[in-house]
Amino acid sequence: MSDHKLDSNMWVDRYGDIMYRYTLLRVKDVDSAEEIVQNTFMAAIQAQSNFAGLSTEKSWLFGILKHKIMDHFRGQKRLMSFNLSDNDDSTEPDYDTSGHWRIFPKDWGLDPEKAAENNELARHLQGCLDGLPEKFRQIFIMKEVDGLDSTQICNEFDIKPTNLWVILHRARNQLKQCLEAHWLSKQEDKKTKS
Amino acid sequence: MKMIGALLKQLKISCEDTSPLISESMDHRISLGKKLRIKIHLAICGACQCYKTQLDIIKTLARKLGAEDSDLKNEVSLRPELKYKIKHSLKTNS
Repeated sequence: MSDHKLDSNMWVDRYGDIMYRYTLLRVKDVDSAEEIVQNTFMAAIQAQSNFAGLSTEKSWLFGILKHKIMDHFRGQKRLMSFNLSDNDDSTEPDYDTSGHWRIFPKDWGLDPEKAAENNELARHLQGCLDGLPEKFRQIFIMKEVDGLDSTQICNEFDIKPTNLWVILHRARNQLKQCLEAHWLSKQEDKKTKS
Repeated sequence: MKMIGALLKQLKISCEDTSPLISESMDHRISLGKKLRIKIHLAICGACQCYKTQLDIIKTLARKLGAEDSDLKNEVSLRPELKYKIKHSLKTNS
């Protein structure tokens, strides 16, 4: 027995916005995000009778939403040819001839354990994510934002594990550079002004 | 300093060799040899210690962004017209 029930009259008011934000972070494009949320609600109303009450209404709807987002990524896969070297041209070499950093990584003055409380940095990270090459962005989202299994990601994108690590490494480097350019420089400005 | 750099590069424990390993170690279990190379390098390189901390911070924050009820973008909402349209469709299909 379970108390979990569906109340489709309340879905849009209760979950519309959070589902939309959740989708927008992952698909970036407003039109696609709207369409995915709309399709999710329509699929949910069709599947109402399958709801076994084992999960909450919210996690049941998010389950459908996650499938729809994955379907969207799969649909795009055919449109995006995958070439590691293409994406590579945009980034400057990070090291000098003796293998040293050209620009030394800076101390961000943050404890990784407490970084999650830093909303400003999180907002900047969200902005920086949108600047990644689309394939890198999707892969980083699946791995680091959604915590999906590496094997599953490799299967979805038809890539080898070694490719996955190279892509994640490059994505992290680009995010780090973006955060230093947009977030850290502001922090330093604040310090010099005060 | 240049000589140390050249030596580290020879031993494949320069910053250039180590930074991809640091990233890789976040994604899966790496071999003992690789672990050791990271350890040796981090013991002598402050820049890569910072780098590792930066990647850890990005990892923590990425997971936070992913939460179902992340309130970070709470200024973003579904368009009222679309909400109305979806509500209407839900009613006629329920």
